Amino acid sequence: MDIAEVRDRAGPREFNAGDDMPEEYREAATRMIQFHANSEIMGAYLERPFVRQAPSLDRKLAFSAKVQDEIGHGQLLYRAAESLGVKTRDEMLDELANGEGKFLNCFHYPMDSWAETPMIAFFVDGAAMRRQATLKSSSWEPYAHAMDKVCFEEGFHVKHGEDILRELMNGSRKEQRMVQDAFDEWWPRIVQFFGPTDDDSTHHGFAEEVGLKQMTNDQLRSAFLNAYVPKAEQYGLEIPEYPRIEERDDGTYEVRESDLDWDEFFAIAKNDYEPGVGQIDGRARTQEAVEWVRGVLDEREQAAGTTAAAAD
Amino acid sequence: MIWEVFRQEAAGDYHTHCGNVHAPDREMAKQFAVIQHGRRKPAHSLWVVPQDEVAEVDEDEADFGGSTDKSYRWAMTYNDVEPAAREVADSEAEQAEAGADRGDS
Ligand SMILES: [Fe+2]
Ligand SMILES: [Fe+2]
Repeated sequence: MDIAEVRDRAGPREFNAGDDMPEEYREAATRMIQFHANSEIMGAYLERPFVRQAPSLDRKLAFSAKVQDEIGHGQLLYRAAESLGVKTRDEMLDELANGEGKFLNCFHYPMDSWAETPMIAFFVDGAAMRRQATLKSSSWEPYAHAMDKVCFEEGFHVKHGEDILRELMNGSRKEQRMVQDAFDEWWPRIVQFFGPTDDDSTHHGFAEEVGLKQMTNDQLRSAFLNAYVPKAEQYGLEIPEYPRIEERDDGTYEVRESDLDWDEFFAIAKNDYEPGVGQIDGRARTQEAVEWVRGVLDEREQAAGTTAAAAD
Repeated sequence: MIWEVFRQEAAGDYHTHCGNVHAPDREMAKQFAVIQHGRRKPAHSLWVVPQDEVAEVDEDEADFGGSTDKSYRWAMTYNDVEPAAREVADSEAEQAEAGADRGDS
């Protein structure tokens, strides 16, 4: 299939491993899905300490279920990416460990206190879900199928995250202040979640033309602000003055891009931002520590392979 | 030799199990599957898999989800908040439906 035909046919769930897709499509899809898979893994590592630090048994159970889900999402997505035939799962995991693998800006920042958890568990998961719901219509069928399961599970994450926010904002004055401080710190990063405005986004045009993604950065950011700004206000959070956000007459939002720190954003995009580097290395060490498990699995697979071959 | 058949009704759908066929090899299995399972019902694609290659684990052997109370992992549990967005509400509806199918109270 050539690119012209791909553009022509690019509807929801249109292509799968049985189609002969051009290199350009397979590479763009791999880049996008690998980024998504990496983000699930790095997000899980960021939240993992809160299984231990959760303030109650219910929260502990919910956090451990959520972290487990996120690792599962990573696995589903590496499979969807692998099905493009560009990179194997092992290659992608190695790239994540050696600092080549890219992932969401928000997961490059450290998260230290319980009061910060709604920033990821509610706002970032909520933002991710806005995007993921649209990706159910991606033209790469294995990606869309992965999104079915991810979106099925994510409703729990977002509502649980909101429940933590609700609880803290109805708590002591100290708790409320800590959440507001966390919000002030995280808000600009969350606004940057969807990337720079469409004019500056390098990969957007092609991915949309071939149906890999359905909505632009700006549309998604607007949809996010529409749903989540009222939520923040409902719980008594004050939206920081910067970045300045103006609502247009048609209900969409315009973010003053110059109010955001794009140097930091692009340093992060290159995996050059310090806390993120530490988080990448931390995960690499964990991966290293369980190398023996993969070794055992590989041995079993090889042993099974020889017996199967002998039986033929 | 028996081959299990999975039918996909329309492009983008899941392949779901719909029956099996007798066939001596993969090529014949594909042909028989087309004849038996691809003609009466809408079919966009079929998969055939040797029955021997299908491994089963059933509810006698495995605790699917177990009997422990896991309400903490469902959106319906968090009733003090309204879904923030349509897709959150959709997810909750799917989870509620799955819960009803599992026979959760
Ligand atoms: Fe996830
Ligand atoms: Fe999540």
